[in-house]
Amino acid sequence: MTDAAQNRTEEAPDRVTITVTINGKAYPAEEGEILLAVAIRNKIDIPHLCYEASLSPYGACRLCMVEVRKKGRTEMTTSCTLRATEGLEVFTDTPEILRHRKMLLELYLAEAPKSEVIKSLAAKYGVTRTRFFRKVEPADPLGNRCVLCGLCVRVCNEIMGGGVISFVNRGPYTVISTPFLEESSICLGCGACAQVCPTHAIEIEDTGDVRVMKSWAETKVKLRACPVCGKYFAPDVLAEKTLAKINPPLSQEILNICPECRGKHLAQQEILAASGNFNGGK
Amino acid sequence: MKIESHAGFINQQRIGLQKLKPDIPRITVGLATCGAAVGGTAIFERLKKSIEEQGLDISLIPTGCIGYCREEPIVTITHPGKPLVLLHKVQEEDTDEILRAVKSGSVPFDKALCQIEAWDHLMGYTINYGEGFEEIPLYEEIPFFGRQHKVILRDTGLINPEDIDEFIAVGGYSAAYLALTGMHPDQVLEEVEKSGLRGRGGAGFPAGLKWRITREKESDIKYIICNGDEGDPGAYMNRNEMESDPHMLIEGMILGAYAIGVQEGLIYIRAEYPLAIKRLKHAIEQAREYGILGPNIFGTAFSFDIQIAIGAGAFVCGESTALIASIEGRTGRPHPRPPRLTDSGLWGKPTDLNNVETWCNVPVIIKNGSDWYTTIGAPNNTGTKVFSLVGDVDKVGLVEVPLGTTLSTIVFDVGNGGADGKQVKAVQTGGPSGGCIPARLFDTTVDYESLNAIGTIMGSGGIVVMDEETDMVDIARYFISFATGESCGKCIPCREGLKHLLLLLNRILAGKGTDADLVTLKDLSETIVATSLCGLGQSAPNPVLTTLAYFREEYEELVRS
Repeated sequence: MTDAAQNRTEEAPDRVTITVTINGKAYPAEEGEILLAVAIRNKIDIPHLCYEASLSPYGACRLCMVEVRKKGRTEMTTSCTLRATEGLEVFTDTPEILRHRKMLLELYLAEAPKSEVIKSLAAKYGVTRTRFFRKVEPADPLGNRCVLCGLCVRVCNEIMGGGVISFVNRGPYTVISTPFLEESSICLGCGACAQVCPTHAIEIEDTGDVRVMKSWAETKVKLRACPVCGKYFAPDVLAEKTLAKINPPLSQEILNICPECRGKHLAQQEILAASGNFNGGK
Repeated sequence: MKIESHAGFINQQRIGLQKLKPDIPRITVGLATCGAAVGGTAIFERLKKSIEEQGLDISLIPTGCIGYCREEPIVTITHPGKPLVLLHKVQEEDTDEILRAVKSGSVPFDKALCQIEAWDHLMGYTINYGEGFEEIPLYEEIPFFGRQHKVILRDTGLINPEDIDEFIAVGGYSAAYLALTGMHPDQVLEEVEKSGLRGRGGAGFPAGLKWRITREKESDIKYIICNGDEGDPGAYMNRNEMESDPHMLIEGMILGAYAIGVQEGLIYIRAEYPLAIKRLKHAIEQAREYGILGPNIFGTAFSFDIQIAIGAGAFVCGESTALIASIEGRTGRPHPRPPRLTDSGLWGKPTDLNNVETWCNVPVIIKNGSDWYTTIGAPNNTGTKVFSLVGDVDKVGLVEVPLGTTLSTIVFDVGNGGADGKQVKAVQTGGPSGGCIPARLFDTTVDYESLNAIGTIMGSGGIVVMDEETDMVDIARYFISFATGESCGKCIPCREGLKHLLLLLNRILAGKGTDADLVTLKDLSETIVATSLCGLGQSAPNPVLTTLAYFREEYEELVRS
């Protein structure tokens, strides 16, 4: 069982509602709930890059750090790993938090200088330039936009069961790619990685019957064409895998048709059948 | 043959003692990694060859390291009924002279460093060697030794680490025998709690409390792990403990397993310590043969065994959650705590992780009691600590002193100050993430709290001495360069922050820095400390912060030039 799955099952029974205080205001929360989730639900703005509700807590981007006050002591911690407990008191924008958040944003501006998301996030906190050496790598397959939040790696592993990409090297040399930076033979081409990427760093391009995962060593995945409209609508392997999961299975006649054409196709069949009846009655 | 009774245990001690104090002359050669590195192996081989060729009745034994690195290679000679004599700086060509002297019932006096008449191994056994050799100074009279208090290093360099009998002869495994056959696990746990023993890996968390937390967790399986991933530049305490007295660690783990209620233990040890791995494996095999590891230890109902997990050499794998990831076959990257290892450790089971030296403290506590143990050290900082005293210091070596000893005692009284008569300028304690402390603060006592108060840490016990010629900014750069290379890359303050600290320091050292860079250096360091995910990042900027605080003029000089 993955950590994420474990978290879900742990939270399922005996839901206890408690009260947490964020910036001096009380909010109801489920006991053990991730504090960042409580904040998001209540529209309290805590910046974050590596959090995704369906994945296990990770705590890498460090932007969501908040100040926890307990028995007169304050402590900084990441709200994406902090669990709600009765009486929990946190502050999201203290001068200390803001000071460190701005410094982290400067580091992000240097690490992902081409990311518009990072630029506007930094600007929101008044950070428009960085004192640090900007890492610009012309050949970066992630377009100098990757912040190594690991969401793509985790979604591929934990949700899609793919394990196609991972962290390569370590420290400041860390990048995300396929094993040995070679074209992957197991990528489904699902695009979940690009879907969760907070900085839109991952590039996928469909040309003809091929989907090219440009950021993942140009991995190529074959696409399936719809026999009705002729459009390429899904990667072949992904379609097989997904269709096998549908229970009860789709009827044979629409199995290979793209979702858009399925309705049209079925309607057309109905009409044809009806007209046949009509003609037959004549 | 398994030891299953008191009589069996006593018999084994007798056999061991016969090896330790034979009726014939005994020569030992210090063959820990350090001794081997400076020619010990060649000396041992040559002695062996000569003894065989001449058909001499001499017992030749490899031992571990007695800790006086500067005087290596160290050879000892014991004639029956006479003191154990330590020879120092022995060369391969000295072996003939050594054998000539031994044959005539004497020792080569020009090579003698000191002599030991009797040695208390602290486990209820004192080995009385005898008296004689008036011209050789006593062990206690050598300042490097005399100012130390050996508890953990009580056997190192004196017994054969590859022979369990010699360990048993000096009282080894008697604490485990005592506990398993006559103490309730609660009593063992209480003794460790009352001893005040704190984690020797650096954080100083009460060991007994960690044991109790693990013990009280509900789980079908629990683990204990020994953290042997010592990776600080210049630190080699744990290596020597494992190489020179591996059974002491095993005995400590048996006692811990008994107190906590655990059947499986692991020693996580870095691949760069091949000799420690070899000796530990051998020791584990011997302990199994004697029924001291495995099912029904000493014939009791208690079963426990130890496996060895070899790390791939990443510094960050000394961090508890990264260490677990590494054992489980995943990349060594830390994850946020909680959950703590005591809740969800190895394979998701409650796990107690302690440093090598923490485990090594346990047998002597159980054997002599917590009341005895608390007389050593300072209040709330009981016991001794082994330090590796290295760098620009005259007497380089492993030094064991009670906690609460001042830095100046360690550096000047034991270490005899700077090498080549130079002035000592600073020390760095606690490994690469410790702080650099100026000589004017050497009255500081070495305990967990006092070191934290001046911006450094105990760490695992490295003490790097720097003399007057040291460029402190360059030192800060060295340590930041080390930490940058060892950062796992998961969180941005450590991954990017340390890199930019390094770039800033490079710029300042190249004479291109500005006053603004000094401000950035401090601000960035503070953010890395405050926001990093694990202990590596949280402490890595300490060398910068302390050199900025204590040696600011050196930075300013570079910026102004």
